[in-house]
Amino acid sequence: MTSSFVRDRPVTEAPSRREPRPAWRSAPGAALVLLGALSPWASAVIPGGAYPGLATLQFFDAPYLVTGFRLHLLLLGLAALLPRASRAAGAGAAVIALVHIAFLAALGVLSFGGPVTLAGGALLIWLGRREPAPEWKLPSRALAWPILVAAFAALLWAVSAMLTAGGQSRATNPHGGAEFLSFLGFAVGLFGILSAYGVLSWLSALAERHRAFSLTVLLACAMLLPLTEAGTGYWMTVASTIGIYAATAIGLNIVVGLAGLLDLGYVAFLGIGAFTAANLAHVVSFPVAALAGAVVAGLLGVVVGAPTLRVRGDYLAIVTLAFGEIFFRAAQNDIGGLTGGANSIPGIPPITLFGQGFDQPVGGLPAGFLYYALTVLLVAGTMAVLANLKHSRTGRAWLAIREDEDVARAMGVRTGRAKILAFLVGATLAGLAGAVFAHKLGTVGYESFDFSESVTLLAAVILGGMGTVPGALVGASLLFVLPEKLREFSDYRLMLFGLALILIMRFRPKGLVSS
Amino acid sequence: MSTLAQQIVNGLVLGALIGLIALGYTMLYGIVQLINFAHGEVFMVGAFGAHFVSLRLLPADTPWYTALPVMCVTAVAVSVAVAVAVERLAYRPLRGAHKLAPLITALGVSILLQEVVRVFYPGATAPLAFPRAFPDGHLVLGPVTVLWTGVLALAVAPLLAAALHLYVERSRLGRAMRATAQDPETARLMGIDPDRVILATFVLGAALAGVGAVLYGIHYTQIDTAIGFQNGIFAFTAAVLGGIGSIRGAMLGALSIGLVKSLAGQYAWGGAQYDYVWVFALLILVLMFRPQGFLGRPERVRA
Repeated sequence: MTSSFVRDRPVTEAPSRREPRPAWRSAPGAALVLLGALSPWASAVIPGGAYPGLATLQFFDAPYLVTGFRLHLLLLGLAALLPRASRAAGAGAAVIALVHIAFLAALGVLSFGGPVTLAGGALLIWLGRREPAPEWKLPSRALAWPILVAAFAALLWAVSAMLTAGGQSRATNPHGGAEFLSFLGFAVGLFGILSAYGVLSWLSALAERHRAFSLTVLLACAMLLPLTEAGTGYWMTVASTIGIYAATAIGLNIVVGLAGLLDLGYVAFLGIGAFTAANLAHVVSFPVAALAGAVVAGLLGVVVGAPTLRVRGDYLAIVTLAFGEIFFRAAQNDIGGLTGGANSIPGIPPITLFGQGFDQPVGGLPAGFLYYALTVLLVAGTMAVLANLKHSRTGRAWLAIREDEDVARAMGVRTGRAKILAFLVGATLAGLAGAVFAHKLGTVGYESFDFSESVTLLAAVILGGMGTVPGALVGASLLFVLPEKLREFSDYRLMLFGLALILIMRFRPKGLVSS
Repeated sequence: MSTLAQQIVNGLVLGALIGLIALGYTMLYGIVQLINFAHGEVFMVGAFGAHFVSLRLLPADTPWYTALPVMCVTAVAVSVAVAVAVERLAYRPLRGAHKLAPLITALGVSILLQEVVRVFYPGATAPLAFPRAFPDGHLVLGPVTVLWTGVLALAVAPLLAAALHLYVERSRLGRAMRATAQDPETARLMGIDPDRVILATFVLGAALAGVGAVLYGIHYTQIDTAIGFQNGIFAFTAAVLGGIGSIRGAMLGALSIGLVKSLAGQYAWGGAQYDYVWVFALLILVLMFRPQGFLGRPERVRA
């Protein structure tokens, strides 16, 4: 069968497919990227000052001062010379170039460095080697712990840099959106390079082996975020909002990712928790209100989950959608005077503990740190619930139901109980997150819980990877950071969501973090 | 008494319009078991296509008997084009994928189409006035008055449903559709190309939705980007209520949905603000207790 394939080659020659491509093949692409990084990017001075910060010719006076995306390009261009790294570095460089070309084109300015870098990136992707990542041996414990600490510290730096990339708003930095997207391109390149050398899978295997230690360090690193560049009241608020949605998405991940029950009205449980806590805010203290929110949401979760005993698959999705819509309409019309209707419920007091208001700065830390710490604990708690349930008897029952309900039942899984339990747990977690949501915002209105929010949460779960523990966190961070960062594109937000859902299902149905 | 009769007629008109969308849902779900959320958007896009051609391309003094057919043809063309594109680009690559994948894709397509129209169609961020391409005035029947456009909807929708029924029962393609719905594997063995059948289903459903869009526009005189999603959910409810896969059932279900919405808005607790809630409650009850609907057969479990 292969005879026609090898006919015109001497029989003695070994198949050349395994032969590595020579390393110099990445040299021209890398050279183009480096040239692009050092070239002028804007053909005119654009509003908001020179672009990028340091005019290109000054570079030769002080090369160590080069910053921003040109520094990223320099780093990627140098990294591209490593044989395995060239494809990922090329992809990162290409993304950065595309972002800035588009940004400059929108301002009516031509770019010279852009096309050069783009060509270099394309060349790198085209000529680069595609090989399976090497596998590394795991080190001993004495080495493993410092390595893990260093890795999580690097992760902390990456999160902080990602959060603050591009600045707070369009008012302070007119190039903010482009700078953020460009940083995202750099991050893609960086993670691609690490993954091509097998570093990421090595680190996650290491973290898996020293699980308790890693979780402690991870939690500590999360608490250290206020000490980084992101340690201002503004970023703390953004981070805690993301945390609340991440916790909700993790709850949804139990229902959709583990049990395979598509819930299209999930945000209603966040709303129920928020409205419950808002109504109780002036009556009882926060822990009681939060508990009440979680319990009420959990009970309604059972009510919504009850039809799962009779309804399956697509029909279940429609039932949950209908429940979500009923909640939305009821909240909109101020049902029983509980939701405030169009006026929403204002004046919810901030959480206080030992006389310390959570919206006030504490010690030398920025205002909002306490809310941030609370949401970190919330996220850590929901992640722990998910991780523990996943490997429990119940979790295995859910996975069995997700794969094939009939077979699961035949194998003795009590499917009805397991499905209702999934709804109960998911709704309770969302209710808890909702209580924090209400107190943090100080006002709760029905608009926060419409269908598009449910879709966003679902998209976060799918984007991150259904059923995985870090998946929902990654997905929620991306989906709730992006609109915050790209306010000038807020009109296109939902459109891009729709497109993203289609593309993910088409090209990466298992999500970014696949199990 | 006169209010009751009036609400019944209003409900029937809404039901007839929803029925035209429900036909597409019922055929498609019968054949590929896909809840095509985007079908409501296909309807909405048709309405905007008709709006565009009437306001931008037709002279202002075009008489209605010219304008209406032109708008219908445009709406059908736009709806069919969008539906075919969606089928080819979004759904076809997913055939044989995990069960949730096409549903989530459908959701994505629905959001994408809504947003594309909202952002790029001039003025679509707010509700748009739909051109009046039919004689004003109404038919008075004792205590009941019906707009002529409502009469048109009540006449055209059942007629189209009947035509579709005949087509599916009698034509060669209709037989292929029924065969594929019954047993796709055997149908394939008998030489039926499932891709062609599915595409034809999309085309037929979209054409009916396009006609429905124009009738909807001239009757309610206002369109916005949300009409697709809302009426799409109602239409899906109608299709389930009538028994998924059944054409007569879809029309029957749609008329019932229209009646429920309009009567609940008048008489039930909470009034017109809660009429949607009653429709959704009905949907939940039907899905739970009679998922095979009025005219459907109980779903058999596929091995």
